[in-house]
Amino acid sequence: MDEQDFIQNLLDPKTQNVAFQQLLKEYQRPLYSLIRNIVLNHDDADDVLQNTFVKVFQNLKNFKGESKLFSWMYRIATNEAITFINKKAKRNGITSKALQSKIVDNLKADDYFDGDVIQIKLQKAIALLPQKQQLVFKMRYFDEIKYEDMSKILGTSVGALKASYHHAVKKIEIYMTSN
Amino acid sequence: MKEFKLDNEPKINSGFKAPDAYFENLESSVLQKISTKETPVFTLFTKRNWLLTAAAIFVIALSIPIVNHLTTSTSTVDEVQLENYLSEQSNLSEDDIVELLDEEKIEKIKLDLNVDSNELEDALLTNANLEDDIIN
Repeated sequence: MDEQDFIQNLLDPKTQNVAFQQLLKEYQRPLYSLIRNIVLNHDDADDVLQNTFVKVFQNLKNFKGESKLFSWMYRIATNEAITFINKKAKRNGITSKALQSKIVDNLKADDYFDGDVIQIKLQKAIALLPQKQQLVFKMRYFDEIKYEDMSKILGTSVGALKASYHHAVKKIEIYMTSN
Repeated sequence: MKEFKLDNEPKINSGFKAPDAYFENLESSVLQKISTKETPVFTLFTKRNWLLTAAAIFVIALSIPIVNHLTTSTSTVDEVQLENYLSEQSNLSEDDIVELLDEEKIEKIKLDLNVDSNELEDALLTNANLEDDIIN
């Protein structure tokens, strides 16, 4: 089905429910992964993911089709996740970087994390990066989002994204070698 | 120490997983959330909104006498009264007035002094002290 037709189905009250269920099925796993990589904890990821879908549903009527549906949804999910982590850090009176380091330190105790030593080490290295580099690295390395798509999601040029990723990799490699 | 190169290593996955059956139940949770959020009528009358409304009314009520006072005091003073008051009561000295005069205003005053020559002559004739002033 053409994307425009699908959007029409989402807007038409008669076909809306079926179309929205289809949208959920298609996007719930990749969006969960994207959000979980940012907020790190399952319960938080669940909250953010549900809010993302609610926002998508509520704002569908304003979706002009200027961008692809997927990049629009990814943008909402990314914004929601970043806002969430920043708010949570503020509530705890610490920086979002400090919050992430704290969560990563407790990953071993997380029931929904089955990583080994190297995965925890990688998460620790990522938590030390500036927020934008973290985001670009996670989207590229874990979620394997193409730079062109990422550019549409984040509104940043491909060149700047590649530079961010390159800096992130360098810092991660230094951390992984020395620890 | 062996140098770590991300590209040389096998791909490291994030290690995150979701609970069993999480995605099977997600749909109903989201749909339920949407249906509850679609009735915003209740959210209009939260305790916080009532408090805000009460506070706004209180502030407006308090400001009514002030606004009243401001508007009436400006509208009841007319120009003549003001001028009389200034001429009788004010402590303005001549120096103060001079301070307020700029070139343009002085020019206007000059234009107003369109003295009739006969009147000037009369004034000079009737003023006895004038001769002394001229001599000195």
